Amino acid sequence: MLTSLSDAASAQTPSSALTGVEIALETRALSLWYGKRRALEEVSFGLPARRITALVGPSGSGKSSLLRCLNRLNDEIEDCRVEGKVLVGDTDAYAKDTVVHELRRRVGMVFQRPNPFPLSIYENVAYGLRLQGLRKRRELDECVEAALKAASLWDEVATRLDDSALELAFGQQQRLVVARAIAVEPEILLMDEPASALDPAATLRFEELLHELAQRYSVLLVTHNMQQAARVADYTAFLHQGRLVEFGDTDSLFTNPRERQTEDYITGRYG
Amino acid sequence: MSARFIRVGAFGDAGTWLVAGAAAACLAAMLALLIVLGGAGAAPFWPSPIVEVQTRDGRVLLGEIVSRSDDAIALRTSEIDRIGTGYVRVAPKQFIDSTNPDDAFVIALTDGRRVFGRGDAAAADARLHEMSGADADEILWPNAVGFFARSGIFLRHVSRFLGASSTAAPLGGGVLPALAGTVTLVLLMSVIVMPFGIATAAYLHERRGAAAGLVRSAIGNLAGVPSIVYGVLGLGLFVHGLGADIDRWFYSDRLPVPTFGSGGLLWAALTLALLTLPVVVVSVEEGLARIPAGLRAGSLALGATRGETLWRLMLPAARPALLTGLILAIARAAGAVAPLMLVGVVKLAPALPIDGEFPYLHPSRQFMHLGFAVYDAALASPDAVRGVPRAYACALLLIVVVVALNLTAIVLRNRLRARYRALES
Amino acid sequence: MPANPVTYTAFLNADEVRAVAVGRRRRERAGAFVVGGGTAVVLVALLVIPLFLIHSLLPWTGLAAGTWQRLGVLFAGSVKAAVAALVVAVPIGLATAIFTAHFGAPRLRAFIKPALEILEAIPTVVLGLVAAATLAPWLKTNLATLLLAVIAVPAALMAGGLFFGAKLRRRETWLPLWLLPLLLVVVAAIVAAFARSDQPVIAATTPWNAVLIGLALGLAAVPLVFSIAEDALTLIPSTHTQAALALGATRWQALTSMVLPAAASGLVAAVVLGASRCIGETMIVLMASGNTPLFDVNPLTGLRSISAELAIGLPEAAPPGQSYRVLLLAALVLFALTFVLNFLAERVRATLRRQAGTAAHGL
Repeated sequence: MLTSLSDAASAQTPSSALTGVEIALETRALSLWYGKRRALEEVSFGLPARRITALVGPSGSGKSSLLRCLNRLNDEIEDCRVEGKVLVGDTDAYAKDTVVHELRRRVGMVFQRPNPFPLSIYENVAYGLRLQGLRKRRELDECVEAALKAASLWDEVATRLDDSALELAFGQQQRLVVARAIAVEPEILLMDEPASALDPAATLRFEELLHELAQRYSVLLVTHNMQQAARVADYTAFLHQGRLVEFGDTDSLFTNPRERQTEDYITGRYG
Repeated sequence: MSARFIRVGAFGDAGTWLVAGAAAACLAAMLALLIVLGGAGAAPFWPSPIVEVQTRDGRVLLGEIVSRSDDAIALRTSEIDRIGTGYVRVAPKQFIDSTNPDDAFVIALTDGRRVFGRGDAAAADARLHEMSGADADEILWPNAVGFFARSGIFLRHVSRFLGASSTAAPLGGGVLPALAGTVTLVLLMSVIVMPFGIATAAYLHERRGAAAGLVRSAIGNLAGVPSIVYGVLGLGLFVHGLGADIDRWFYSDRLPVPTFGSGGLLWAALTLALLTLPVVVVSVEEGLARIPAGLRAGSLALGATRGETLWRLMLPAARPALLTGLILAIARAAGAVAPLMLVGVVKLAPALPIDGEFPYLHPSRQFMHLGFAVYDAALASPDAVRGVPRAYACALLLIVVVVALNLTAIVLRNRLRARYRALES
Repeated sequence: MPANPVTYTAFLNADEVRAVAVGRRRRERAGAFVVGGGTAVVLVALLVIPLFLIHSLLPWTGLAAGTWQRLGVLFAGSVKAAVAALVVAVPIGLATAIFTAHFGAPRLRAFIKPALEILEAIPTVVLGLVAAATLAPWLKTNLATLLLAVIAVPAALMAGGLFFGAKLRRRETWLPLWLLPLLLVVVAAIVAAFARSDQPVIAATTPWNAVLIGLALGLAAVPLVFSIAEDALTLIPSTHTQAALALGATRWQALTSMVLPAAASGLVAAVVLGASRCIGETMIVLMASGNTPLFDVNPLTGLRSISAELAIGLPEAAPPGQSYRVLLLAALVLFALTFVLNFLAERVRATLRRQAGTAAHGL
């Protein structure tokens, strides 16, 4: 865990916001190109540990791309170039000797549409555990149960762990995906508009879950919904056309934004 | 007047009817083909009635009608000396009368000859003893039995045809050796082709870029190579090349009798594996491509490597596509006769390529094949009249197997598409 | 929420974790090697065919006199068989594809496509059998019937369309089913008309002729021509047709003015691929051509193709001999010919697919 920001990140973040705050992940002048198109421009910020940070901004501002840089899922895209640094704890994510799949275990991800595997509920959660070398049935059982409990899904599925995960409702599927991700003990959870496919009741349940998750994991939450950011997030970052315009604790960003662009977005003048 | 008769768009209608008619002709031709195959393939097993014909020049002929046309009737009468010597043509002018006597019997001998006579069981026995040194395969009184009994005889003929006896009436030996040869060949080929096909499909799925493009066009071109050319490769490279080398290194004590230096099961399986490789690759790749991208992303995001994602998630999810590819490859192999003619199929194999003696599978042995049996019966039979029905019977069996396999593949593929549509929604 | 009491790391000590990590990395490398290796084998396999054939022909010592002539006869024979087959397969295949892609009801399409897949699956040895055993005797005496049918059936169809097309316009999408009885009636009438004469009106010297091959091989090639052509036609966005219809054109006019010109190169590719398939086909030609080692353009005489020669000659020929080398040369020619045809056709198709992709985005 980092305890202090680099100069570059400090420049974009008011020191008042993050003094003495533990940082779980830091980006330094992160830039991203898809072919000739620049998607991210010198983004530098620090993700506070065990807090929820919201990432807001208009469509196409690069929020999802930024997320994919943090767990190197962008590697799967052709013609994709990254410059700058991403530090997960003490590890340089883009260093030559970094083992990508081990990085991705530490940085979990929940996608916009729930993507449970076409396996049983149990096997979905056990998928990552088996990869890490857990074999004994009893050990797997305990870890699966713990993960499902931590995702507040256990009560609903305890009796039907062998049923197909595809039979669950969307809200349950999304919580299953969370359980799957936290089973392998990540440090950071990246969430790309996780509630956008859910109905309001399921969304509310999911937001309650987020509060619980933040007690153990550092959450970076991309959201279109500013009310959600206001409800849920401790900190908020505003991204516009690939640049990090402003970063601060949610209350002050919403009530007293420093940048004109931020104020325009929040008041709905565009986006 | 004529201008109003041919309205605007009339030529379009003519054209529409023309193309629709072509589609109809297509379907009609297929239907006709299947009817011909079904009829000609099943007919030989039905016990044919025996007729007694009286001719103007005083002959009385007893036998089965083989063919009937405007200028003559062909009868197969008793074959006393050899197969094929009992055919008689009777011109309509010579014809006086024909009856179906109830007591007429036919003795089918084990060497394929058929002998006719009239009388009861004792008379049949006596007739049999007149034939020097031959055993009876079956003795029938076809005119005296009703429909149900005839159906029973039909079924018995069919079941013996599907068996292994070498003398089964009425079409000669059972096809079980050919079936066993085909099945063994196809199994060995599957074991070879599936790993390579899956590996190549996985490669094409995971990688983009120039190399993948090259592989993809290679697959496409492999698919277009004529099957006989694969046979030439099999003969030249495997049999005369590798096979001769293997003989020199491991079986030199048996030379000049070739072990692997002549056609056999292994080389045929390798040749067919090469032939059916594109089919498997295309099917598996399509199956992998249909898996929603979110699944793969989810697995990678959990910390799985590409290989683990492929092995634990994607290939199992694409199981129907793998099965479809396998089925289509098998169907193709069951029907590919031309290359096999060069790499080891024979009319009559002295032993099965798979049997009870160690090492149970004998990849150097020659084998029989159902498709080749069709060709061989049609063209190389000592008795031309008997050969064609046998060819049709084998062809019908082959068609049934191949069409069943293809239908299964089609159904599987439709279910696969429905399943992935559900996954995405 | 209390700290998660159960963690998977509780069950694994540091050594195990390291061992698992190392094992995973090793398996990943092995897996990449297996996949890459398997693919390399496939690539090599394609190259091996021509390379082996060429290698076996070296050192080149020339051929005996008359060999080139024999090869020429074989080559011409293969071409003759292919042309005869294409005469049957191209009209029927293209027309069926045009109807299925442009006019047909979706349910009819869902029936026709699998039906043709089944036809494609029928082993050619079976088609050769039907040709040799059933079709040949019939053709020997009924050539005139066939000829008349080929003229009369399309004429009847067009006449029917001219006079009755408007009435059935709404049932257009299932037209083939309605037309099936008409086809049968016309054919039955022709057969009946000729049945009364004793002698065949046109006598063929031999039943093993190019007409027979054309029918059998053509039927075998229809599914391929159909599927490539249908592929090309369905790539054309339906908006082309909708636009033409909105301007008042009939479906046929939309077809001839918009769809066919756009899909033309794909249809040509279908023909070329069909030709390649016919040139490479063995069993039908082996069983139905008479294998006469002479060439002439008369469709009523037989032929001998390269593939049939290979099937007959190679089992007898022994490796170092002259006849073996000649046969390998013939195989090389066959490979080169089919390869070039396939390559060109696939290039055309790839271009069409790319164009369709950009067109879809443009619209």
